[in-house]
Amino acid sequence: DSHIQYERVGADVTMKCGSMDWDAAVTWTANGTDIDESHLNGSYLILKNVDLTQSGQYSCYEGSSWHLKYQTYLRVGTPPKEPVLMCRSNNYPKGFYCSWHLPTPTYIPNSFNISVIHGTREMVCEKDVFPKNRCHIRYLQLFSTVKYKVTLTVTNALGKDSTTLTFDEFAIVKPDPPESVVAKPVPNNPRRLEVSWQNPSSWPDPESFPLKFFLRYRPLILDQWQHVELSDGTSHTITDAYAGKEYIIQVAAKDNDIGTWSDWSVAVHATPWTEEPKHLTTEAQVTETTSASTSSFMPPPTTKICDKGAVVGSGAVAVCWTAGLVLAAYGVLFI
Amino acid sequence: MAAPDSPSAALRRHDLCSRGIRLAGKMRSDVVDLLDTYVERQGLDASASVAAVEGVPAAAAERWDEQTGTQRLLENLVAYRTFRALLAQMLEEHREQLGEADAALGQALAAILLQVSAFAYHLEELLRLESSGPPSEEGAGPSPPLHLSLFERKLRGLGVLRELAQWAVRSARDLRQLAKPGLGSSSAPSLAESP
Repeated sequence: DSHIQYERVGADVTMKCGSMDWDAAVTWTANGTDIDESHLNGSYLILKNVDLTQSGQYSCYEGSSWHLKYQTYLRVGTPPKEPVLMCRSNNYPKGFYCSWHLPTPTYIPNSFNISVIHGTREMVCEKDVFPKNRCHIRYLQLFSTVKYKVTLTVTNALGKDSTTLTFDEFAIVKPDPPESVVAKPVPNNPRRLEVSWQNPSSWPDPESFPLKFFLRYRPLILDQWQHVELSDGTSHTITDAYAGKEYIIQVAAKDNDIGTWSDWSVAVHATPWTEEPKHLTTEAQVTETTSASTSSFMPPPTTKICDKGAVVGSGAVAVCWTAGLVLAAYGVLFI
Repeated sequence: MAAPDSPSAALRRHDLCSRGIRLAGKMRSDVVDLLDTYVERQGLDASASVAAVEGVPAAAAERWDEQTGTQRLLENLVAYRTFRALLAQMLEEHREQLGEADAALGQALAAILLQVSAFAYHLEELLRLESSGPPSEEGAGPSPPLHLSLFERKLRGLGVLRELAQWAVRSARDLRQLAKPGLGSSSAPSLAESP
């Protein structure tokens, strides 16, 4: 007879050898290894203050015949703690998904049950095949002021716990980050970088549910980001880049009207166009140099600290460097 | 009147939709600001759950993506005509209750009322471009005033503003659907299935 037995960490466990009498002569093994008689009380196996390492197969054999009389698989674990639950709509207005995890492992199997209630209506959250701690719901109604109530209960052999989230339709809308972000230098423009991107492919109808975007960029050598918010379009030209410096650029997205900003996109790097140095000729040799990112930083003579006229694009809002910050940057570059 | 599918009608529709979308966006922003002021001035709890208020058009829509353009316009128009009457009633009650004591709130309500009226006009113009035209206003507006306590009137006002904020979001979406090229008023768009 084989069983599975679940016990809490720290518990004292007593195992009986099936129907054998207390005073029967038996031998217990753990994962095939004999257990010392000091752990026995008659034919009972006593395990005090069990820990995770004591999980395994326990077998009991009759003393003389070595017949297997009882076998059990001991799983030592813990009851579940309150699960962490998150719900989000990255494909609005189609639906939303909820995903969850346990803050600490239980070391034994857990089952999850999720209920979603909208007003008086109970909705079915269909479990995803992968990842398995996730389910999704299709919206039956849009633009409702009635809140959704999602309750997740986690149960295992040692106990259960639950958590509840309450939210309205608009609050959980958060698109995936923009995709295919590309940044390129602009020929003959040492201070410009052209950035383009695409709507996240998970956003089903950008025409009716347009996204707005937030772009951030900085030279690799500096820590402070510059930000631009764009109410339409999927491209922007940076016009105040430092000549010859490599930049890191990211974009985030948000529904025009509701919800929160996406995570930042994958970062892309680009360096503005630089002019090739003029050829130097001597009697002895002709030396050719190519423009490289290792060229020293020489700002254009007419560079302004904040070129307000360089802001382009409808709905773009530029944040200008302060004079002190630029001077500090100059200082860093020449160390 | 130009035929519904003529180029001039299409241009006029597009123009009305664009302006309507901008108006809906401004309206929503102003209603959200007004909600904060209203909750504070009326001594309400911002998280108070207000059950569906009788006579207030609910923005919630089932099968929203399957609606035709004409259905969208008609539902919007009925709603905004009702809001126009509800806000006028709220303004009247506010003046009776407080007189000039809270002019700012009264002015904010009046401004929203103006925007709602302007939006209703946009919807009527869009419906005129359709062969159906806008329905008459007979029977439109809220039911006769209920005998509510002061607190009940405040809660009702909260419900009106919250639902109006939802409608403003929905209306922008409705007009964007309407503005999609190639969609006539009687055809319903289909949202492509996404994985």
